[in-house]
Amino acid sequence: MLIRLKGGEIIDPVNDARGGASARRDLWIENGFIIEAPEGRRADRTYDASGCIVMAGAIDIHSHIGGGNVNTARLLLPEHHSAHLPRPADTPLANAGWSTFTTGCLYAQMGFTTVVEPAMSPYSALHTHLELADIPIIDKATLTILGNDDFLLSLIRDGKSADMVDDYVAWTLAATNSLGVKVINAGAAAAFKENVRSFSFDDIVPAYGVSSRQIVKTLQSSVNRLGVPHPLHVHANNLGLAGSADTASVTIDATEGMPLHLAHLQFYGYGTEGKRKFSSEAARLAEQVNSNPDVTIDVGQVMFGQTVTISSDVTRQFLAIGNASPKKTIIIDGDGNGGGIVPYRYKENYYGSLQWAVGLELFLLINDPWRVFFTTDHPNGAPFTAYPDLFELLMSREARDRQVAELNAAALELTTLPSISREYTLEEIAIMTRAAPAKLLGLKDRGHLGPGAIADIAVYRRGRDIAAMFREAALVFKDGDLVVENGKVVNFRWGRALRLRPEPDKTMVRRMQAYHEERYGLSLDWFTFPDSALRRDEPFAEVPCNR
Amino acid sequence: MSVAWVGSQVVSLSDAIQHAAKLLASSHCPVISFDADVHGTRSVIALAEKLGAAYDHIRGRDLVNEITLFTSYGGMFTTPGEVRRRADLVVLVGDIPAEHHDLILSWASAPADLAAKDARRWFHLKANRPAPDNTGMNSLSRKVKAVALSAEGASLGSAVALLRAELADRPTVTSLTNLDKLKKALAEAAFPVFVFSGNTDEPMSLAMLQGLVADLNKAKRASSLFLPTDDAAWGAVLTCVWATGFPPRTGFPNGAPVYDPRRWDIERMLREKEADLHLWISARDSASPARRGGIPFIALVRTISPVPGAAVTIAVARPGVDHDSVTYSSRIGTFRAERASAPSDQPEVADIVRELAEALPC
Ligand SMILES: [Zn+2]
Repeated sequence: MLIRLKGGEIIDPVNDARGGASARRDLWIENGFIIEAPEGRRADRTYDASGCIVMAGAIDIHSHIGGGNVNTARLLLPEHHSAHLPRPADTPLANAGWSTFTTGCLYAQMGFTTVVEPAMSPYSALHTHLELADIPIIDKATLTILGNDDFLLSLIRDGKSADMVDDYVAWTLAATNSLGVKVINAGAAAAFKENVRSFSFDDIVPAYGVSSRQIVKTLQSSVNRLGVPHPLHVHANNLGLAGSADTASVTIDATEGMPLHLAHLQFYGYGTEGKRKFSSEAARLAEQVNSNPDVTIDVGQVMFGQTVTISSDVTRQFLAIGNASPKKTIIIDGDGNGGGIVPYRYKENYYGSLQWAVGLELFLLINDPWRVFFTTDHPNGAPFTAYPDLFELLMSREARDRQVAELNAAALELTTLPSISREYTLEEIAIMTRAAPAKLLGLKDRGHLGPGAIADIAVYRRGRDIAAMFREAALVFKDGDLVVENGKVVNFRWGRALRLRPEPDKTMVRRMQAYHEERYGLSLDWFTFPDSALRRDEPFAEVPCNR
Repeated sequence: MSVAWVGSQVVSLSDAIQHAAKLLASSHCPVISFDADVHGTRSVIALAEKLGAAYDHIRGRDLVNEITLFTSYGGMFTTPGEVRRRADLVVLVGDIPAEHHDLILSWASAPADLAAKDARRWFHLKANRPAPDNTGMNSLSRKVKAVALSAEGASLGSAVALLRAELADRPTVTSLTNLDKLKKALAEAAFPVFVFSGNTDEPMSLAMLQGLVADLNKAKRASSLFLPTDDAAWGAVLTCVWATGFPPRTGFPNGAPVYDPRRWDIERMLREKEADLHLWISARDSASPARRGGIPFIALVRTISPVPGAAVTIAVARPGVDHDSVTYSSRIGTFRAERASAPSDQPEVADIVRELAEALPC
């Protein structure tokens, strides 16, 4: 079918389209792909996009949408789903993508077409992919967690070769069907099992004699050598603590000429100034990011209201139990990382106001929209349903000032936010949420609107209310299928999970077989699964490695 | 071999599905009891949504307690792999269902390679009353040489409460046997784990146990291992949770899922005649529902003959035997893809239920 999307204002930074009257043109779609305007052919379907902006489908690089810990959070908090359903507009969680089904629908309605679940524990890969396969419409991908697992820590302790580490990382990527590697508070979860409760970058996991830094550097190099397009995705130590900016700072310095992605930097943007010894170090961190081209970050913006924190950083979650609201939590000592579920309400008090401001400072003070990514670390800083409001805050100083007026003045005094006048342009939004994520993840087929790209397209009706514009896309296409019209889902198709397929080394497969039989008393096939286990026609799509 | 019947009459599978779909479509309040693997469960939820029906797991009554621990309280948990490799002290709590005994025995013969010391100590906290050893727990307890912890006349719930109080040095009226031994073992242990299953009689005991584990974690480390009363049923719970946001006892009164363990108690709905049609799905066995007040039922069960009293019977395949399956396994504490051990073309629940949903007029 030949589809013509008529007269929209194209915002496609990769192909030099910056919006405005000069960028108004038609977009043509055939067989799921964007094509050059065909000559002398008539469209089978034409959609009117006049008065609208047209962007590629948005890509979320870090959102906890499925898997063991997410599902445990659902189980812990059934009230978050039911109690809020009747009043969707009231609170962010009201409409949160709590089931797999609503997750796909709500993302699509906002024009998002690809979402990365960034914390898949290797042994719950099947569980995670079962959930992702039940998320309709959008494409998904996962990052596999390494760095607290006995096998890797033993390799490092025993001084095994880089080749062997690479074989293990490649085997894990292949066995878990993932798109990249994440390390979460490297070494801390292993140390926590030995009752170590605070853990920094140069601290050592007692049982292995290996430091957090060694683990991060080992994985960073391995990912790089293997040609995994996405750099090592790092959740640093000391998340959420006053003074964590120092941890973030040494972690950024540890890039040492190789790419590294630092997740939810907002949660590390804290110094120890002020009466409450909790202040913003965002300006310093932003400066450090600006001057280090090897580092990319996502923000993990906090928005106010009820949410639940879901993290494989078990140490941090254990320490946060006292802040739970409501008062119920789950802590898991897992095979590698484990994790914790701690419900939390961000209030407009000193702490909440400061966290909110730190996130915005990072967004606004990091100059290069190719290196700062748009996340709330769903649902940790806020549910992803808060994105439209966050777009508005980034694009409108006036919207920020309105909110600032209602927040804790003492907190804001310790930030630079009130003095920042920058407003994101639509082009910068398109870079941050489309072009840059595609580049960061190695997805050449999306994130832009050039011929040959898959037809993942979001069309928004231009309006003065920025949040409203992004909340309900006028039209969304996924692989050329119209899936959303006037903010409503009209087609519940199934997307795929994007994965790398490194060829696992045969010796490593044998080692893995022996390891699982000896250590767990079970054959390796207890821990792996065939594609057919997901019962979808094409559950996966392959992404090539860099070499 | 016949696989489908209307009443006692042999019919083709597609005729049986059409007939069942008609019954479901004309029912005002259909309810579903099911016991199926992950893909069977997914199909049941889709059918319930389309029908506006309520569903519960066949073992829903056993599940209520275990679910409530998570929905109301939470806790600290670990995995079977960590227990095997790291736990230097294992406290078995109450009766653990027989399906998990092999797992527990396997720890006894495996070294705790991640523990500082090699020796693993065992205790068994249990009720003190003359009760038949239905699960073979006493024999398991002997095999692993577990030291018994109990108190005169105390139920399991009381024993857990007593242990928590004694470990916290609170005054108690009575005392557990061998408490000193446990205290000493706890003082020496680096990673003690309390292994438990749902305790249907005393729901609060699960939360009490978690309170105890939380107390221990104030200064040292400890965790618990949850071994569900029924692995397959727990897998169905987790599947319902991701598909709808809720554990079972969920209904779709207005299209959206509503979780309410009392309102959607299928047994109660049948007893009080709120339901007018019962769809009973069991990939496990041929057991059929207890007839309640003549409410008609459709049976999808493992059978070679029509179920007496059923309006429609369809014989279904056994997951993991007749067809590849995904189920929850306590051996790994998560889902496992299982290959068919004796593949057959017996129809599987997921396919029949999907066809049933497709046959509904909508
Ligand atoms: Zn995260």
